[in-house]
Amino acid sequence: METMRLNDVTANDLPWKIKYDASRCTMCGSCVATCSFRAILPKVERRRMVFSEGNFPEPKARFSAVPVIRQAKSIRNYCRGCGMCEKVCPNDAIKPERNQDTRHPVITRCLGGDSIKRGGRKNLEGSTRTLDSIRVGRISQMTDPSLDAQRHTFDLLAPFGRILPPKKLPFSPDVDQQLVTNALTPPVNWIYPVIIGDMSIGALSWRMWEGVAMAVAYLNEECGLPVRMCSGEGGVPVRLLKSKYLKYMILQIASGHFGWNRIANAMPHMVEDPAGILIKIGQGAKPGDGGLLQAGKVAEHIQAIRGVPKADLLSPPNHQGLYSIEESVQKMFLSFNSAFKFRVPVAIKVAASATSVSVFNNLVRDPYNIVGGFFLDGIDGGTGAAHEVSLDHTGHPIVSKLRDCYLAAVTQGRQGQIPLWAAGGLGKTGDLAADAFKMIALGANGVFTGKLILQMAGCIGNDMGRCNACNTGLCPAGITTQEPQLAHRLDPEKVAQNIVNYFLAMDQEFKKLLAPIGNSSLPVGRSDALVATDHAVADRLQIQHVC
Amino acid sequence: MAAQIIGFDENKKRLSTQQLLMQVYAALDRGETNFEVLSSGHHNIGGPLWTEDGSPLKFSVKNPGQRVGSFGLSGTSITVNGSAPADAGWLNAGAELIIKGDSGDTTAHCAASGKIYVAGRVGTRSGSLMKHDPAFDAPEFWVLKNTGSFCFEFMGGGTAVICGIDSDDFDTVLGDRACMGMVGGTIYLRGEAKNLPDEVWLMELDEADREFLSQGLPTFLEKIDRSQHLETLTDFSQWKKITAKTYEERRWRHAQRISMREFRMNKWVGDGGIFADVVKDNYDHVAGLVNAGEDRLKIPHWQNKAFCAPCEAACPSSIPTQDRINLLRAGKYKEAIELVLQYSPFPSSVCGEVCPNPCMDACTRQFIDLPVAMPALGKLSMEAESPTPKADSGKKVAVIGGGPGGLSAAWHLRLLGHGTTIIEADKEVGGKLRQVIPTDRLPADTLGHEIKRVKDLGVAIKTNTPVDKALFAKLQQDFDAVVIASGAHNPVVIPFPGHERLVKGLEFLKAVNNGENPPVGEKVVVIGAGNAGMDVCLGAYAMGAKQVTAIDIQRPAAFKKEIDHFEKLGGKIEWPAFTEKVDGKGLHTKDGRLLEADTVIISIGERPDLSYIPREWLTERGMAEVDDCGQLTKAPGIFAIGDTIQPGLLTHAIGHGREAAEYIDEYLAGNQLKAKKKLPQISQECLSKELFRPHNRSRFSFTDATKETSRCISCGTCRDCGMCLEACPEGAIRREDCKDGSFEYISDDHLCIGCGICAGMCPCGIWGMEQVV
Repeated sequence: METMRLNDVTANDLPWKIKYDASRCTMCGSCVATCSFRAILPKVERRRMVFSEGNFPEPKARFSAVPVIRQAKSIRNYCRGCGMCEKVCPNDAIKPERNQDTRHPVITRCLGGDSIKRGGRKNLEGSTRTLDSIRVGRISQMTDPSLDAQRHTFDLLAPFGRILPPKKLPFSPDVDQQLVTNALTPPVNWIYPVIIGDMSIGALSWRMWEGVAMAVAYLNEECGLPVRMCSGEGGVPVRLLKSKYLKYMILQIASGHFGWNRIANAMPHMVEDPAGILIKIGQGAKPGDGGLLQAGKVAEHIQAIRGVPKADLLSPPNHQGLYSIEESVQKMFLSFNSAFKFRVPVAIKVAASATSVSVFNNLVRDPYNIVGGFFLDGIDGGTGAAHEVSLDHTGHPIVSKLRDCYLAAVTQGRQGQIPLWAAGGLGKTGDLAADAFKMIALGANGVFTGKLILQMAGCIGNDMGRCNACNTGLCPAGITTQEPQLAHRLDPEKVAQNIVNYFLAMDQEFKKLLAPIGNSSLPVGRSDALVATDHAVADRLQIQHVC
Repeated sequence: MAAQIIGFDENKKRLSTQQLLMQVYAALDRGETNFEVLSSGHHNIGGPLWTEDGSPLKFSVKNPGQRVGSFGLSGTSITVNGSAPADAGWLNAGAELIIKGDSGDTTAHCAASGKIYVAGRVGTRSGSLMKHDPAFDAPEFWVLKNTGSFCFEFMGGGTAVICGIDSDDFDTVLGDRACMGMVGGTIYLRGEAKNLPDEVWLMELDEADREFLSQGLPTFLEKIDRSQHLETLTDFSQWKKITAKTYEERRWRHAQRISMREFRMNKWVGDGGIFADVVKDNYDHVAGLVNAGEDRLKIPHWQNKAFCAPCEAACPSSIPTQDRINLLRAGKYKEAIELVLQYSPFPSSVCGEVCPNPCMDACTRQFIDLPVAMPALGKLSMEAESPTPKADSGKKVAVIGGGPGGLSAAWHLRLLGHGTTIIEADKEVGGKLRQVIPTDRLPADTLGHEIKRVKDLGVAIKTNTPVDKALFAKLQQDFDAVVIASGAHNPVVIPFPGHERLVKGLEFLKAVNNGENPPVGEKVVVIGAGNAGMDVCLGAYAMGAKQVTAIDIQRPAAFKKEIDHFEKLGGKIEWPAFTEKVDGKGLHTKDGRLLEADTVIISIGERPDLSYIPREWLTERGMAEVDDCGQLTKAPGIFAIGDTIQPGLLTHAIGHGREAAEYIDEYLAGNQLKAKKKLPQISQECLSKELFRPHNRSRFSFTDATKETSRCISCGTCRDCGMCLEACPEGAIRREDCKDGSFEYISDDHLCIGCGICAGMCPCGIWGMEQVV
């Protein structure tokens, strides 16, 4: 007799249970061949029956041993619910089912003695999302002319760079009374209001990263949408740095400063300036923590570009040389402005926090005109790897914090001078245009997005615990992995095409929202266009409450 | 004489639009067809009006309001003497509208038929949503000068002509962003157009266009009294036309974008993309979710005999029962029973009788029903013939001690072709097998048979020859290597009061087996409840004791089988019990109890007597100090085995004997000795035991050990059942015969998808899945 013991792990302890129908299964092996998590195994099962067929007890026995697919009962190789088995099964014989009774959060800690880490986004479902209680409620009809979304032209452009107020513009009339500039103005790039957010070459497979970069180039070159992409921390392929497409890239520096050696060395060979520099101080998905690239993903090219051996790469939670807001302005902004001879705008990204407004107020003063943007990242942001406790329980929602910052600038009459960019769960429901539009009407100049880009590429993860295994390097979609066998599943052209198509669709949808409020340019701060069905939301954001 | 319609009353007060239009209707009802209207911004003058007989209606209007000519029908002609405000010709349904000045915003808005002529400029959104209903003539909209912005939005049909007179101060003659959403119709323009949408073509005129304009322009200019421009306007080189793209052309436009593939190949960073310098990858290859070859996540390997069966791993003599059974399964009975002799000369005496069979404790089959019957298998080999020794090597090895270890060493040394001499202190070899194990546990003829087999192999034996320092020195000289296998024969005694009264267990057993019938009292206490202690207890009963009690300071170390046997005879075991003293009454424990005894026997182990070798060759505890290969660390060429290095079972000594023989073989060949490790034991996880049908335990009887072939799993050694070959969904596994008579299974990398079903189904755990990812 082989018996279970109380604390042996069983399927019911795990977050997903494999639902398997042996009568439909042909043992074709597809599910077990595709599962990258080793969460299912071929096994042999006994079938035994003692029965009697006669008119009196006459024992007969039937015995067979049949091959079946079984779920691995382990907290290491457990089913993440990615559903690849279901996808490849020709007979609908297998699929993962969410297990309501999971003991995973407890047993994983008990057995491992280590914090739970994963990728994805916050998985705690709260009430209705703030943005979903907001509608574009001011529709121009009899009051003022609305526009036609399909047929009119719109200027969907947002600034990346320091905007000087009119009085500070160094313009003066010359002898012929023509305006001329007589001093250097800070660089500003007018770009599409959706930046593809910072995902590093370590977090993404090379195929994925290149697919995204290609989509950005295509959107610019073939579709006329000036979309920009932020490199993420951890370096940029040198061949891209030396190409003309660098102009579409925003280079990131984070606390690990990974990859900047190669960027600096590529400078003499650059044929274009990058679109901007983003100093990452914090990340919405795991505020207070630095990057976390687990060793499984530190492939050889990552080691080379980053200049480190194979190991868990933890970026410190803070930039080691920064001790105050003033210093970050002085040192980081100045360093990166000077690195590109003051031709490239430099912005900063922080995790939304109770203290964001203070930070923003400090930046807004910007006596040197070197602060090119304030990127705020809220709690619902995604990540390739974080401690689950950070993902689920730390951070600050983006909506009210963005609004606070905008209104703080308005109070000082300085709105628009330091562009505000917002992120953190935008597009979570799949509709980025609506979320972005609302954020813009609340005061953002634009938004940035990461996780949604992965979902465009084929990521099957969601915010209800499905997959979320980006940290393992075993991404079944080939997106967040450095394993060649998995990365090969991803077609970079298809990735690029999907992203391009999503942006084209989103572009139309932006217009569908701009037209009714009668704006042909971005309605930054036009909160009169919004109404909230939730009283508390309306009060907090200072918009009209409707019911 | 035209009907005079005046927009003021007698007091020069302006009439309402309704009052003015009522005048028009009244005049129409009187049969008037010609109207002169003096308006003051009255709306909707001119339509929709008609006559019963179809005779035409003519309006001449001054100072109209908005929507002059709205819904105007065919047969109505309206001339505005001067400019018109917004929406002139709105929804024109066939009327002719002549505006001799400028016209306001949205002129000709939604006009669907009729002709509108404007002598000046028109405002924003003019011509928007013009359309052509095929049941009527297409609308025409002629403008002498230019338009405001956003004109011709959503235009669906009809013709507009923008002549661009007096428009040099404007960037364009169509304002900004004309033609947004235009899906049909034609616009002729003389001058520039800017910011046109993608939905239209801007083209040169063709012959038909020129003909249309040639015919229309004189009429237009005449209607608006501007014939002086005819020459300017008939210079067609200054004209262009705008037409909407067709539905197909618009779809084509979207399809026009280059494919992502073309973009990657022709425009994107060349020579393999941005990672080409650091990652080797061909993007043309996109794997599926299930792949054969390189993109498999797992690769199967047929790892026959890469892991030790649990029985072999647990056996101190390393007997591979799975091999023995596979030979039986293959019908090779003789080879099977002889195989075991390669590992032990005592399969019948030890495996079959006295060994506690750790192999069975480990046997996988126990998880199905009962372990494979090893003793029965061992007994099969009693009559087995000795293997043929290798050719004589000319080397000589002395083995000190003819116990199970020494005999094993000698046996294996002989098989390896070395001359071997056993130096035995007793009158006969056999050691403890013969000296101390009760004959009801080990029949004398079984042991005798197996000892004879050793002797018959050509092992020289010198009995009654205890080894002392001098002899040892001579052996060292005379032989190429020496094996110390003298066992442990010095009983351990604890010096508590009365210890001199103790009978030593080992000596007692030796006396029993030697037929000396050593006397015992009715009540016997045995100190030590290990296996030897149990043998002593049995001996005491055999010598006439009525009540035997064994004590121990800890949980008895004897095997359950031995304890059960003892208890069945009425024996008792007490533990923990610490001896305080022994006197005439018996044994007093430290907690003050008296265990009455006529005889107290101590059996808590023996120590080796190695006084014939230098003290410095021994460990602190008096055992021979050896390296990983059983060779004395301080005396190369001298090997020690069995109880001289560590107390153990008989099978340990036998195993040591074989190992020593193998190391000596290497040593004699002049090779550097390297410790041999057993293969790692196979994990139970790898064995698909479910393929075996459990036997009903109640019906077991081992009448024929050869039938165990059906029960042995063959852990770690392929049983050639072919489950994998049949189960492989891709048919990727084939079986091949090898030249040496063996066989192998091979998985074809080009076919295998790495599903692991072969490994999952293998009863023996042969297929291992290499985790690539």
